[in-house]
Amino acid sequence: MIKIKNFLGNISLPLFVSLVFLFLYLPLVILIVFSFNDAPFPAPWTGFSLKWYHELMDSPEIWRSFYTSVVVGVSATFLSIMMTLSLIYYNLMGGKLKKLLLLFYGNILVPEIVLAVSLLCFLTFLSIPLGFLTLIISHTILCSGYVLPIVYGRFLSIDKSVIEASLDLGATMSNTFFKIVVPLLKPSLFAAGLLAFIISFDDFVLSFFCAGSDAQTLSLFIYSMIRSGVSPIVNALSTILLIFSSLLVMVFCYLNIKTKIF
Amino acid sequence: MSTIRIENVTKIFNGEVVLDNLSLNIPSGKFFALLGPSGSGKTTLLRLIGGFEKVDKGKIYLGDQDITDLPINQRNINTVFQNYALFPHLNVFDNIAYSLSLKKVPKDIIEDKVLKALKAVNLEAFVYRTIDQLSGGQQQRVALLRAIVDEPDVLLLDEPLAALDFKLRERVLIELIELQEKLKTTFIYVTHDQFEALTVSDQMAIMNHNGEIEQIGTPKEIYEFPVSSFVAQFVGTTNILHGALLKDQDSYYIDVHGLGKFEIQVPEHKKWMVSESGTKIDTRAMSIRPEKIFITKNVTAGFSNVVEGIVQTIVYHGRSTQYNVRLKNDITLQVFEQNEEHFPQEVIDYDNTVYLYWQKDNVVLLER
Amino acid sequence: MKFKELIKKEKPFFGVSLSFVWQGLFFYLPLIFIILLSVIQLSTIPGYYKIGLANFLYFFNLSYINIILKSFGLALINCVLCFIVGFPIAYFLAFKAGRFRNLFLFLLILPFWTNFLLHVYAWFYVLEKAGFLSNLLLFFGFIKEPIGFLNSYWTILLVMMYCYLPFMVLPIYSVLERLNKNVLEASADLGASSLQTWFRITLPLSLSGLKSGFFLVFVPSFGEFAIPGLIGGDKYVFVGTVITQFILSNGSMNLGAAFTLISSIALIGLIIAMYLVGYKYIKNFGKIDD
Repeated sequence: MIKIKNFLGNISLPLFVSLVFLFLYLPLVILIVFSFNDAPFPAPWTGFSLKWYHELMDSPEIWRSFYTSVVVGVSATFLSIMMTLSLIYYNLMGGKLKKLLLLFYGNILVPEIVLAVSLLCFLTFLSIPLGFLTLIISHTILCSGYVLPIVYGRFLSIDKSVIEASLDLGATMSNTFFKIVVPLLKPSLFAAGLLAFIISFDDFVLSFFCAGSDAQTLSLFIYSMIRSGVSPIVNALSTILLIFSSLLVMVFCYLNIKTKIF
Repeated sequence: MSTIRIENVTKIFNGEVVLDNLSLNIPSGKFFALLGPSGSGKTTLLRLIGGFEKVDKGKIYLGDQDITDLPINQRNINTVFQNYALFPHLNVFDNIAYSLSLKKVPKDIIEDKVLKALKAVNLEAFVYRTIDQLSGGQQQRVALLRAIVDEPDVLLLDEPLAALDFKLRERVLIELIELQEKLKTTFIYVTHDQFEALTVSDQMAIMNHNGEIEQIGTPKEIYEFPVSSFVAQFVGTTNILHGALLKDQDSYYIDVHGLGKFEIQVPEHKKWMVSESGTKIDTRAMSIRPEKIFITKNVTAGFSNVVEGIVQTIVYHGRSTQYNVRLKNDITLQVFEQNEEHFPQEVIDYDNTVYLYWQKDNVVLLER
Repeated sequence: MKFKELIKKEKPFFGVSLSFVWQGLFFYLPLIFIILLSVIQLSTIPGYYKIGLANFLYFFNLSYINIILKSFGLALINCVLCFIVGFPIAYFLAFKAGRFRNLFLFLLILPFWTNFLLHVYAWFYVLEKAGFLSNLLLFFGFIKEPIGFLNSYWTILLVMMYCYLPFMVLPIYSVLERLNKNVLEASADLGASSLQTWFRITLPLSLSGLKSGFFLVFVPSFGEFAIPGLIGGDKYVFVGTVITQFILSNGSMNLGAAFTLISSIALIGLIIAMYLVGYKYIKNFGKIDD
C-alpha cells in the first residue's frame, strides 16, 4: 500500500509538469502539422503539400512586413545599445550618474498600452507622420528599458581593479573604455541585443498604435490575418517563425552557458 | 633617479583621517617594504603613490618630479594588484604586452620583450593561453611581468602573496628578491606579514593602527633594535618588562616591581631618557627577544641578568622549543631554545624550576 | 584651440545628454502630454477648448467602473491561474528536473521568445468553429455539428494563462534555484510532511519571486486587449478595449486620454491595496501561531 502511495506521490509532479508542457506545445504542433496540409482548412488531412509555403514566399505583403519588423528591430536595438554605452562612457570619464539612471527604469514598469497611447497622442500633436520613424522611436524606448539594466548592471560588476590596472599601465580612460570595458561587456551586449531585438520583433501593442496606416510589422500582419479568419499561410508563417525563434533561443542558451551572462 | 618622496601627506576617508601629515623617503633602486596591521593605511599610501587616490594635503615626488596631481596613466609607476587584475578577455601575451602596445612600440620588439620575460619565469609555453587556464601562481607571475615589461621607475606590490599557498610563497619571495636585484627598479612592497617584509626588503617602514610610521630601518635594525613596544611586538615575538629606569654610577638598571633590578645598556642617543640625578623616574619598557634568553635548571655564571621561574607550557616547533615560564610576580616570559642536539644533556619539563639568563647587550630599551 | 579642447573634454557629456534628451522627449513628455490632454475638452467650435474635468466625469458611471473591475478580475484570476499552474513547474524545474533541467528550461523559454500572436492564432486554429478540436470531436462522433469554443470568458482566460505562464514561472524558478536545499531537508527531518514543508518553508522563502511574477503578469493583463479582442470577439470589453476605441476614433482622443489616466490610477490604487492586504496576511506566513 505504502509503495503504491509513494509511487503516486513521486509521479504526480512530473506527470503534472509533462501535461502542462504538452498543453503548451500541442496547439503549436497542430499548427505546424497542418501547415503542410493540402486542404486550406482545419479539415481532415488530405495530403502533404508545401503550397502554403510557396504562397508565403510569394506574398509581397508578408515580405514588406518582415522587412519593416527587421529594420525597426535592428534600429531600436542599435539605438538602445548606443545609449547605454554612452552612459557607461560618461560614467567612466567621471560623470555622476547614479540617481539619474533611475530615470530609465520606468520604460518597463509602465503598462505598454499607456506608453503606446501616450506616444501616439504626443507624436500626432507634433505632426510627426506615423510610420517607420515612429515605430523606431517607440521601440527604442521599449528596448532601452531592457538593455540598460542588463548591460549597465554587468558594467557595475566588472572588477574595478582591472580598469585601474589599465590606467596604471599607461592607458587613458578613453583607451580603457574601448580596449577593456567594451570587450568585457561583449557577451552581455550580445544577449541584451538579442533580447531587445526579439522584444521589438514580437511587439504588438506599441506597433498597433504607433505604426499608423503606412507601416506594418509582422505582428500587425498576423493580427489582421487572425481577424479575417484562419488561413494556412499563417500556419506556414508560424512554423518558420517558430524555427527561427528556436534557433535564437538555442544560441542564447549556448552563450549563457559559455559566458555566464545572467 | 627613482626615489619616492612623500611630504606631509594627509588622506581623509569619510571623515576619518587615515593618514595624518605623513612624510617618508623611499630610496631609489631598493626593495622597500611597508609593513603594518590591517587598517594601518599602508594600502592607502600605496594607492596614493600609484595615483588611484588623490591626496587631501601634501605632495608626492618621483625623483625631482612632482607627481601629486598627475593622473594614474601618466605616472611612470606600475602596480601588481592583490587580485592580479589580469584582463580576462586577453591572453597571456596580450596582457603582458598591453603597456607596450599603448606606446605604439613596434610589434617585433614587443614580441621579443614579452617572450624574453616569459622565458625568465619558465612560462613561455603559456604565451597564448587564456587567463582562466592559469593557476594562481602563474597568474601572479603574469601580473608581475605585465607590470615590469615597460620598465617603470617604481613597482608597487600590494600584498601580492596573499592568495598563494605557503610553499609557493617562499619560492616567489626569493624570485622577487632576485628580480629586483637584476632590474634595480625601486620596489615598494606592502604587506601585513612581517616574515615577508623581513625576507625581501633592503629597508622597511612599520605603520601602526593610526596610520603613523613607527620606525624606518633595515630589517636587522628593526628586528634587533625596535624603537617602540608596537614594533617590538609586531615584528617577531618579544618579552616586554616595565620598570623604573635607574642609574647607578656608570650602569643602568630597570627596576621591575616584584622581580628586582635588571641591567641594561643605554646607548648615547637614548641618554635623554635618563634624568641627571639617577634617582627613580618614569616607567620605561625593555624588550628581550625569546631567543636571546638562555634557559637552564642549573645555576650558571657569566650572564648580566637572571630571573627564576616555573615552566608552564612547552611547545615543540621543530627547529626550536618554546617555553613559557611563570615568574615570581606572575609575569610570563617566552623563551625559544634551539634544538641543537637530538639528545640534549638537560631535559626541561613541566613545572620544573628554571633560571633564565640573558646579557645586558641583548636587551633593548624602548623609547615608547 | 580652446573651443576644440572644450569639445574634446565634453564629448562624453554630449553623448549622454542625447540619451537623456531622447528619454525625456519620448518617454516623459508623452506621459505628461497625455495627462494634459485628458484635462482639455474639445468644444464644438473648432480651435477652442476648455480645461476641466469633464472628460473624467464622462466615465463616472457604472458601466465603465464595471469594465475596470472586470479587467481587475481578469488580471487577478489570470495571476492566480498562472500561480497554480506555474509554481509546481518552477518547483519541479528547481528541484526535481535533474539532467533534464536545461531541456525543460529551453522548452519553457521558447514560447516566451516567439510572437504571442502566434500562440493566440494556434488556439484560434484549434478552438474556432470548424477548427481542429471541433473536427476531432466530429470525427469521433461526440458531436453532430461543428462548434466553436471561442467567445467565452474561460477561453480568454485559458489563452491568457497560456501566454503569461513563463512570466510567472521564471521569477519563481530563479528564486527557488538559489534556495539552500538543506533547508527543505531539515524541515522534513524535523517531522514536517511535504505539504507542511511547502506551506511553511518553501512558499515564504520564494516570496520575492512570487512578487516579481505577480507584477510581470498582473500589470500587462490589466491592459490586455488583443487576446480578449481576438478570442472573445466584441462581446467582451475590457480596459484596453475601451482605450483603443476612444483613442483611435476621431475626436475622442481626449476622452481616451482621460480614461487611460483613470485606469492607470485605478491600477496603481489596486496594486497598493493588494500590497497592503497581502502584506498584513503574508507577514505572519510560516511563523508559529500564538
